[in-house]
Amino acid sequence: MESGKMAPPKNAPRDALVMAQILKDMGITEYEPRVINQMLEFAFRYVTTILDDAKIYSSHAKKPNVDADDVRLAIQCRADQSFTSPPPRDFLLDIARQKNQTPLPLIKPYAGPRLPPDRYCLTAPNYRLKSLIKKGPNQGRLVPRLSVGAVSSRPSTPTVATPQTASVPNKAVPPVSVTSQRYTVQIPPSQSTPVKSVPATTAVQNVLINPSIIGPKNILITNMVSSQNMPNESNPLKRKHEDDDDNDTM
Amino acid sequence: KVGSVAVEDQPDVSAVLSAYNQQGDPTMYEEYYSGLKHFIECSLDCHRAELSQLFYPLFVHMYLELVYNQHENEAKSFFEKFHGDQECYYQDDLRVLSSLTKKEHMKGNETMLDFRTSKFVLRISRDSYQLLKRHLQEKQNNQIWNIVQEHLYIDIFDGMPRSKQQIDAMVGSLAGEAKREANKSKVFFGLLKEPEIEVPLDDEDEEGENEEGKPKKKKPKKDSIGSKSKKQDPNAPPQNRIPLPELKDSDKLDKIMNMKETTKRVRLGPDCLPSICFYTFLNAYQGLTAVDVTDDVTDDSSLIAGGFADSTVRVWSVTPKKLRSVKQAADLSLIDKESDDVLERIMDEKTASELKILYGHSGPVYGASFSPDRNYLLSSSEDGTVRLWSLQTFTCLVGYKGHNYPVWDTQFSPYGYYFVSGGHDRVARLWATDHYQPLRIFAGHLADVNCTRFHPNSNYVATGSADRTVRLWDVLNGNCVRIFTGHKGPIHSLTFSPNGRFLATGATDGRVLLWDIGHGLMVGELKGHTDTVCSLRFSRDGEILASGSMDNTVRLWDAVKAFEDLETDDFTTATGHINLPENSQELLLGTYMTKSTPVVHLHFTRRNLVLAAGAYSP
Repeated sequence: MESGKMAPPKNAPRDALVMAQILKDMGITEYEPRVINQMLEFAFRYVTTILDDAKIYSSHAKKPNVDADDVRLAIQCRADQSFTSPPPRDFLLDIARQKNQTPLPLIKPYAGPRLPPDRYCLTAPNYRLKSLIKKGPNQGRLVPRLSVGAVSSRPSTPTVATPQTASVPNKAVPPVSVTSQRYTVQIPPSQSTPVKSVPATTAVQNVLINPSIIGPKNILITNMVSSQNMPNESNPLKRKHEDDDDNDTM
Repeated sequence: KVGSVAVEDQPDVSAVLSAYNQQGDPTMYEEYYSGLKHFIECSLDCHRAELSQLFYPLFVHMYLELVYNQHENEAKSFFEKFHGDQECYYQDDLRVLSSLTKKEHMKGNETMLDFRTSKFVLRISRDSYQLLKRHLQEKQNNQIWNIVQEHLYIDIFDGMPRSKQQIDAMVGSLAGEAKREANKSKVFFGLLKEPEIEVPLDDEDEEGENEEGKPKKKKPKKDSIGSKSKKQDPNAPPQNRIPLPELKDSDKLDKIMNMKETTKRVRLGPDCLPSICFYTFLNAYQGLTAVDVTDDVTDDSSLIAGGFADSTVRVWSVTPKKLRSVKQAADLSLIDKESDDVLERIMDEKTASELKILYGHSGPVYGASFSPDRNYLLSSSEDGTVRLWSLQTFTCLVGYKGHNYPVWDTQFSPYGYYFVSGGHDRVARLWATDHYQPLRIFAGHLADVNCTRFHPNSNYVATGSADRTVRLWDVLNGNCVRIFTGHKGPIHSLTFSPNGRFLATGATDGRVLLWDIGHGLMVGELKGHTDTVCSLRFSRDGEILASGSMDNTVRLWDAVKAFEDLETDDFTTATGHINLPENSQELLLGTYMTKSTPVVHLHFTRRNLVLAAGAYSP
């Protein structure tokens, strides 16, 4: 560990010298020079916060000046908020006694990964796909984003997928050989079904692609295997609903 | 008999502080203290060491009385006059004390409040105690006698008075020493019986250490190493004392692998020292600030995890085999589930790498622990949560919230399923992976819990704390069954011996102390390190103890010699202490320096190779 320079230079402001003295009194001998700046900043911020609060309290009490009581109150309120300390020992002993009285729960055999109920896990998807309400002549004619390897289903969003879509017909050779590539497109059912319905199945429908967009390449749209969703299909928020994660893969 | 005053266990804080009300003339405090000092210095040599133990608690209590009653000047001069007389290992506490000059300061300081509400324990022989009592009671002002009665607990033992050396070895904690009855309850320190697994016959011959009386079996070779014979070890807990998860097939395969490796294990000893393989974390410094690196290595020594101050957890593979995560669900559906190598195919080759970074914490990561089945990794952080990560998908599964303050350490149980965590809120908590709230709360320490470890039989948890004590807790009912005092600084490392009988602890004072769990005694002291001992590990069969320290060295100690010939019969242990031999030099087998890299973690592989890890800090 690098040891910092000991004392600040002699022409340092008085406050910095005071800080250095405090550190010395508390027995801290090695510290970086920036620590003094940090402490000065903290002191300044703390004092201005307290005085601001005190001003508010004194004006609330319709007093002409800020006096010591206001400052005392401000300090107390801030202390309860910011500088909390761990609970006192007797409180801890009390809850410990309560908690330790219940016997250890028995372990169910063959339970797979032993995790708490899903509500307490972090395994659910933390996003929801916005529904696309497509009306008009374009119904049924999609502009899929067909970047290689990516499975992206939102044509209008600036997803991770590179904007190759528009250029597919223009490019002579897409970056990866595409002649016999299989593309899979997953379309959330909310797109074509009413928004309110919970996407009970995430089965993908066969998409009608306007061949004029695609060009001469053969594109095989696979019906996303809905069987994989069987165990999960009842509720997409259930654990291990990994097909929603596909959108991120490149 | 005499000597102890029964006071209610957890008096109200204000009641305790009000006990300081006007107990004598403030200006006379210096005289009282000087009078006692004079008496003790004039007493017989053999008693002087023991009676000198009184100085520190009396000094602190008298000073705090003066402060509470707002006699600032007297308090200051009292402090000036006598603080230099105290023992050197109390200097840190005295510095904190010197900053408490007003009554308001006392109210905010939790540590001092705890110091007051728990009685300071002193262990004095009967003769010395009689001497003291006679002197204090015959003086006119019973000021000091009052303090002794109210704030000190004097645990009297029959026997020879202790020498200064013996006393110095055992004092140092915030609350004095441990009462003898605190260490009297029965502890099941034996190991659980290993389940019998049939080893396939194509094994080469094991040089099994067959225990006595093992009947000949007609079955193929059994797991003989490490398992006792048919009769139950009286010191082992019953198999079902605490519920443990049953073995899955993958666990059985692991055990068979374990046994195979065990046959190739190198037997260590003073003439056969292990090789040490050191993993250095380079560029682990963010700018100039120190980074805390916590590592854990899985039992088969194939993964290392490091927790960093930038709140990431990084997992490296130390074998040529790369880290693979399970494929995305889309791809999983495409594989043939019936094929034989389905377990290989579910792994995603495209993202295989040697390093995986796990993001999720919002503060520096201070503790990490792999599960025994290598499926999970736990990490504990300054943000107050303990996170469970899956090592198959390398994502976070659960965040356990309970400590609202930094969690300094966490560890999985040797059988999986349970884990323990300890933090700044002075408690250790026992969790199970499928409960979002802790199952047990181990409360009793006076300061942060720095280090938490499971006993090999998973029935007990040891915690080392900044209040300089080590406590052993029973998982079944949460009781504290052992208190070990003797360290002079916060404890940073703990390890159990493989046979479950002994505990080794290391602290900022640079000493490694050895404890006998069954009897509750200190049985050894290893001096040699010059800085905090931050990692300790016994070899697989318990012959060598390796210690790593912030002084950039790894030291190997002879554990067999340290534990042999202990006089631990009932007679000598009744006093609560035994004579410690001064044999640190003989026990030291080797010192290995690193290039300015503190040794943060130590691990013995199954074949008794030492893996050590640290971050290069020039």
